[in-house]
Amino acid sequence: MHPVLPWLGGIAVLSFLPLITRTAYDQYLLNVIAINVVLAVGLNIVKGFAGQVTVGHVAVMAIGAYASAVFSVHLGLPFWLALPAAMAVCAGVGLLVGIPALRLEGAYLALATLGLAESVRIVISGTEWLGAAMGFEGIPPPHIGGFVMETHFRYYFVVMPIAVMGIYISFAILRSDMGRAFKAIREDQLAAAASGVHVAKFKLIAFVLSALYAGCAGSLKAHMAPGYLNPNDYSLQEMVTLLLMVIFGGIGHIWGAVIGAIAVTIINDLTQDYYTYRMAIFGGVIVLTVMYMPRGIGGMIEDFWVRKRFAALRAATKARQAAP
Amino acid sequence: MAIRKWALLAAPLLALAATPAKAQDGVIRIGVTLRMVVENGLKYGQMVKDEFEAVNAAGGINGHKIEIQLLDDECKPDKGVSNVNRFIHQTQVDLIIGSTCSSVSMPMVDIVTKEEIPLVIPQSTNQDLTKKGSPWVYRVPVSERFYAAVHAKWLAENVGKKVAYLVTTDTAGIGFAKQYQVYMKKTYSVDPVIEVQAQETDLDFRAALLKIKSMNPDVLAIGGQADAIARVSQQSYEVGIPSRVRRVAASAASNAPVPELGGDSVKGLIYAAAFNCNDERPEAKAFVKLTQTKYGVRCPDHDFSQAYDTVKIVTQALKTANLKLTAGSHAADRMAIRDAMANVKDFHGLASGPISFCAAPTPQCRDGNRTGILVEYTKGGKDYDTKLLARVTFDADFGL
Repeated sequence: MHPVLPWLGGIAVLSFLPLITRTAYDQYLLNVIAINVVLAVGLNIVKGFAGQVTVGHVAVMAIGAYASAVFSVHLGLPFWLALPAAMAVCAGVGLLVGIPALRLEGAYLALATLGLAESVRIVISGTEWLGAAMGFEGIPPPHIGGFVMETHFRYYFVVMPIAVMGIYISFAILRSDMGRAFKAIREDQLAAAASGVHVAKFKLIAFVLSALYAGCAGSLKAHMAPGYLNPNDYSLQEMVTLLLMVIFGGIGHIWGAVIGAIAVTIINDLTQDYYTYRMAIFGGVIVLTVMYMPRGIGGMIEDFWVRKRFAALRAATKARQAAP
Repeated sequence: MAIRKWALLAAPLLALAATPAKAQDGVIRIGVTLRMVVENGLKYGQMVKDEFEAVNAAGGINGHKIEIQLLDDECKPDKGVSNVNRFIHQTQVDLIIGSTCSSVSMPMVDIVTKEEIPLVIPQSTNQDLTKKGSPWVYRVPVSERFYAAVHAKWLAENVGKKVAYLVTTDTAGIGFAKQYQVYMKKTYSVDPVIEVQAQETDLDFRAALLKIKSMNPDVLAIGGQADAIARVSQQSYEVGIPSRVRRVAASAASNAPVPELGGDSVKGLIYAAAFNCNDERPEAKAFVKLTQTKYGVRCPDHDFSQAYDTVKIVTQALKTANLKLTAGSHAADRMAIRDAMANVKDFHGLASGPISFCAAPTPQCRDGNRTGILVEYTKGGKDYDTKLLARVTFDADFGL
């Protein structure tokens, strides 16, 4: 069986999801989840696979969103061209962000990317042709001929396949030589270099790949109804929420990032009514995760499988020993 | 341990599955989204809820109960969009009230126009909101196109025309400075002496203020939110800008944190607003007493008064709307509320002037309050005080 077939099957199954939702709000939420999945899976590449600490991912997403908006509104490009163009812009940004990563590590790299995060928001806030603090309006939804994907239901069939494709590509990266090089860098840079891994090159590639995902997520968000962007939506608060998705899901686990994006988006939504305690609930989830699931949901699932395999191995060994 | 882990994972998914969908059942549903996690935000949010509950306690609207869903949008457009989608598609509201920040109200206008749901804006002042021409949108507060002229005219005639601007990059601050500059250019052909932009999160404005001091302006215009206004006001004295340079700020200056944080430095600071807590009218005195006793707010600002007026206007409109509130009457009910709102004329509430709407989807019809007042702080600190300097009413076309 071709490895892509199960993924196509997944897309086919997920296509029925909006049909069983009760309201258009659920469909809206599915779209937000799909965008967050793309974002979290992308962050997982640089943070989870390659072990680079970045807090500028939301800023790259903002660049992707605004680039796509500019390509659509000012240059008249359709969504289908604006999306790859915005991703290309973000790839360039990822390359630039990756350069400091060649010299910086840990908290220092986090500080450098934090600078990027804040400066992007500030620059947008003061740039008139990007709508400044008032926001960028009138970003058109995608369309194929006369078929406009402006409703949440229709837009789902744009974001969901892209999200599934994003997960598939992420697995393909992880299982490739590149993915192994990323993991080698994450575990020990010196050892990786000694083993012949070109550390600088692969670090940059990780940032570029991650930025491509962020750009894609940004573009998808920009073209979702009502087609409005505002720099206030790309602050540190959003970055913390995104980090929570990856940590909750389990750093380094692709399915963990997916589950984290789904869970955090749903928790975020469910706590809207409890606005007084919302941030406390959110904070509580972080504390509980770190206390009881330090490796996140992905780590938990991995533990489960390892235990199961170990138990099966032990049972097989016992059976062998018991045999005459 | 394992059970605890799985319970942690399953809880949100189970909770989502349990969320009920709404149906029409003779109840008037109203969605309210405001910036609430700020000074007094939770209190005026609660006040909106309490006032609608009081309507229910008095028998409801023509026998129909009102159900309120109150959400916080944190002044973030994404949250506002999410809240409005929730109101429309999940709660299936008949009317939406929101929001506090113009940047949040902006995308909301597009959504309600497409989904055909009446939106009553209680606090946002950006003039573009009603310029979009939506037949579904009504604005209770004074538009910034009027506000700017209130202080611009008074300052030009009484203080001077050399204006230095220090503005933070938020919608309210930018709008305030832009309108002030447009008015000065249009009326007196005067350009800004200097314009400095700062960030919303900035704490130290001294470098910018020293630059402004060197330009020797007549007026220091401060655009931004409450904490920025307080800091700029205080630091302007620290760098030696003399008191003869009149400080004027965006309408956020009416919020209590400004005099409380700014202390004595706010003495003489002026701002245009829609309400002054020293208003002598009996209804204003009763309102101030209500906020003092029920919500612990000594001197309510115009965010409070406008939220209160919004509830009263909506209640009045709902009473005159021909509502059926059945499963098949949703679209007709929303249209009936929209049309009833257009019939609100000369509503005399707490606002600086009467509030009137009409049917045409134009700013002339949908910017309800055309009267701004100019207020001066006469004392800072916790026991701050204000006085009314001027009250100006404009033609509906003004500033367009």
